[in-house]
This record gives sequence, C-alpha cells and structure tokens, in this order.
Amino acid sequence: MAYDKPIPAKGTNTGPFWEGAKAGKLMLPHCKECNRVHWYPRFICPFCHSMDLDWVEGSGEGTLYTFAVQHLTPPAWQQEAPYVTAYIDLKEGDRMLTILRGVDPAKPEDIKIGAKVKVEFEPANDDMHLPFWRVVEG
Amino acid sequence: MPGQLYKAAAIVGAAEADEIGFLKQPKSSLQLHIEAIKNVSEYTGIPIAKIDGIFSTGWSSELCEHLGIQPRYIDTTACGGCSFEMHVHHALAAIHAGIIEVALISHGENGHSQRAIGAKGRPSYGPGSGDASPALEMTSAYGMGGAPTAYAHAMTRHMHRYGTTTQDFAHIAKVTRDWATLNPRAAMYSKDKHPFGGPITLQQVAQSRLITWPLTILHCCMVTDHGGAVIVASPKVAAGLKTKPVWIAGAGESMGHQNMLEMDDFTATSARRSAEAAYTMAGMGPDDMEMAMIYDSFTITAAITAEMLGLAPLGEGHTLWQEGHAAPGGRFPVNTNGGGLSFNHSGMYGMPLLIEAYRQLSGTAEDGIHGDPGKQTSAKTCVVNGTGGTLSTTGTLVLMADG
Repeated sequence: MAYDKPIPAKGTNTGPFWEGAKAGKLMLPHCKECNRVHWYPRFICPFCHSMDLDWVEGSGEGTLYTFAVQHLTPPAWQQEAPYVTAYIDLKEGDRMLTILRGVDPAKPEDIKIGAKVKVEFEPANDDMHLPFWRVVEG
Repeated sequence: MPGQLYKAAAIVGAAEADEIGFLKQPKSSLQLHIEAIKNVSEYTGIPIAKIDGIFSTGWSSELCEHLGIQPRYIDTTACGGCSFEMHVHHALAAIHAGIIEVALISHGENGHSQRAIGAKGRPSYGPGSGDASPALEMTSAYGMGGAPTAYAHAMTRHMHRYGTTTQDFAHIAKVTRDWATLNPRAAMYSKDKHPFGGPITLQQVAQSRLITWPLTILHCCMVTDHGGAVIVASPKVAAGLKTKPVWIAGAGESMGHQNMLEMDDFTATSARRSAEAAYTMAGMGPDDMEMAMIYDSFTITAAITAEMLGLAPLGEGHTLWQEGHAAPGGRFPVNTNGGGLSFNHSGMYGMPLLIEAYRQLSGTAEDGIHGDPGKQTSAKTCVVNGTGGTLSTTGTLVLMADG
C-alpha cells in the first residue's frame, strides 16, 4: 500500500540524510572537531560549537529508551491507531523518535525498555524514504 | 544625575551571518541566526557555552536547543522591529541585577529566502511547504500530536526507572479533584457544574478513556477558556494599596530543550535548576515552603516537578498526594485551586498558578459563595513552578506572605 501519511518537508541542511535513506543507509551528522555524532541535524555542533560538520554512516542499531501507545492521534494517523511511538538511543549516541515496529500496541506491558532495535526504511515517495525502528530482540 | 542602570552593561561585539542580502542559495532563518551567533562569539572571544542569557523574537527555546545551552535567563519578546532595542533594555536590567553576565541578542530572518523555502511557522509537511526546524523535520513523520502524545513517554520511563505505577500517579488526579470540589470556580467543581465534575475514584482514573498509554484522560489536564492578570509593583507602590502584597522572595528560570527528542533524562526537568536559583535568591529551601502550586498538565508532570523542587525524593513525587499531604487538610497543600487537571487549563496554565498563589498567601483564597468549607490554607510561603513546552522550559518562584 502506498504511504498515505504526511511526508516531512525537506530542510536546507538535511540532504545527505535523505540521500542516505534512499540507499538504505542511516546517515548521522558528525562533528569533525570533537568527533561526536548528534541528532537532529544542526548548523553547529551542540557539544563543542564547531561548524566543521560532516556525515557518517550509522550502524542502524540502537536500544529502546521509552515508549507510549497512541490512541488519540493526529487525524492523518487515525487509521493506524493504536500504534507505539518510541525514543531510540542510537548505538553512536543521541536519540531518535520513531513509530516502533515489531511490537503489539495492545500489550504495552510486554514491550521491554532496553530492547534491541534496528532501523529500516520505508519509501514515502520517490524522494523521501523514512526511517522506522523495529524491535529485533527483547 | 544618572540613574542606577547608567553604564551597568555594555555591548561588547556585533556580527552578522556569513552571507546577507539577496541570497542565491536560500537559507533558513535558523541558519542565519546560528551563523551570526557563531561569528559574534568568535569576534568577541566569548565561547557560546558562556552565554547565560538569551534574547530573541520568539526563537529563544529553539536557538538554545540548537546550541545545546541552558541559560538562566530566557527572553523571547517579540514586538516587531523594535524588539532588539527592548532586548538590550531587558539584558541591561538582568545584568545589573546580577542574574546574568553574558546576554546573547540574536536575529535571523530569511525575508528573501522564504519566497523559495518558506518561513518558520508555516506547515512543515510536503516539498517546499516550509522551512521547519530540523528537529520538526526529523520528528513529524511519527504520528505525534498534542501534548499527551509526548508526555506519556515520560511516565513510561519514570515507571521503568523507579518502579512507579499508573495507580501511583492516579492519586494526583484524585486529590487534585478533591481540591476542585472546594472551589466553585473550578470547571470540575461538581456534577451540577459539569457532567464529569465532582469527586473521582482511583478506579475511575484507571478506567477512563485511554488517550496515550499510559495516560487515561483523567491523567490529563483539560482544555478550557481562561483569562487572568497580575500586577507586580515596587514596595513603595505596594505600601499605598488597599490590597495585600505577596512578596517575590526568589525567582529562577531554565530550560532543557524545546523538542522532547532533545530531553536527556525523561524523569528530570530543568525545574531542578530554576528551583535552585529561586531558593538561592530567597535564602530558603524546600523545607521552608508551606505549600506549592505546580503545573499539572499531566499527573506525571506534577510528580516529576515535585521531585525537581525538592519536595519529595527522586522517584517519590507522587507520595505527596498518595499519603494525603497534598490534599485538603494535609500538611503540605498542593494545587489548592484544583489544578490544570480539574480547575482550569486553557493551554498555558502559568497564570492560574500565579493567581491562586497570590490568593492563598494574601488570605483571599476563599470564594465561599456556596457555603463550602473552603480551600484557604494557613500557608505563608509557596513555591510556584510553571513548565512550558514538552517538559522543556521552567520558571520557579518563591512567594511569601507579609509578616
């Protein structure tokens, strides 16, 4: 089924992320000065304030930091409800938001914080492939 | 004879974004801000990390989050083109008062580029439809909407970290409703006033409509209409009035992030820092407080904030309500108007907090129009904490009754 939810507008500094996503790669913004990865993409490193930034390919691995089950949702997601939203701690550091896959929204008590997750990409249109995370191991 | 603030502060440097004018490659307003900030930091030799006050026209939370800084003075006054001169005035007062030493006043506005890429605040979906913040760009695909969709994640994390349960937090909803039944102005005062009004049980909280697990609707504040105002005046003016003064003994503010994505620890907020500043200014601590007015957008907000304000140990904020201390007749009344949960919550609840704190400490909290036992307490000190955004920004006040 074609992707039918709103697709984010592409910003001015996030091209490499979306290019990577099309190729199935999780590209992460990285500071050449302090060598740390940050998320979301910045114009300046939020840790050391260098503007010497580039992109590195992430492992696509992480762990579940916390989650919630969305029942009352924005209109565009109503058909999906209930679904699990989650914050993912990236192996490389910092955190991403996702709709979590591989879990049962009817059984939140079975979802384990700390669970291992992996990224996957879903084409929303030709240009925008959206990252989602899936629980791979409790 | 110059006034007290004469030469109390100086402008020590100025800079612009890397490129200005009619840019060939469109840039976002955010990028123009960040370039200018980086340049003024390099020009003056003041590291960005040393900035402890931020002034901009509505951008301050986003700029601080982007820069990864947590200033102690956050002004985002937007009155049009004159705002920046006002920001200097406000910075002057804040520096003179000793609250901050380094104020950043920043401007970024892509008046030309927005014809190509849109301006901040426009819809953030679809190609070319808006120059959203990168945080929004990277979170808007994941079905998050109103406040409950975000705050629920904090309750899940609190339960994981401290072993708390939804029932623990349900006590906050129940006790706060008990206060509302003493306040004829409260939206949930009684069944006569609202079909869902009047006292509630823990079971009702648990079984009410599920909004975002683990939050049922009775863990969430209402969305109502409200208008309110207070006047702050000098001791000289206060002395000549018919009303009783409630003194501002301490004040502080801080922020952690704008977007919940950037919250480090979902069980801790910047209320810890804003409270520390307020207590320090007051020369008092949590043990000196006799009541609290805490922003209860959700039960979890009240619990975490109570922990941050030092009113309960970490992980045990809910015990204030569970053990009855926060309840009518308890040793430490909290949210005596019935809170955002049951009194009134129009969207930004900070003003009702102030109004009730004033009424309690000035001895005018008793509405008494229905012959109710009333909600007036004997408290002479009150800690007031407001939370903004998604557990993002906080302001704390220590207020004191006269005498």
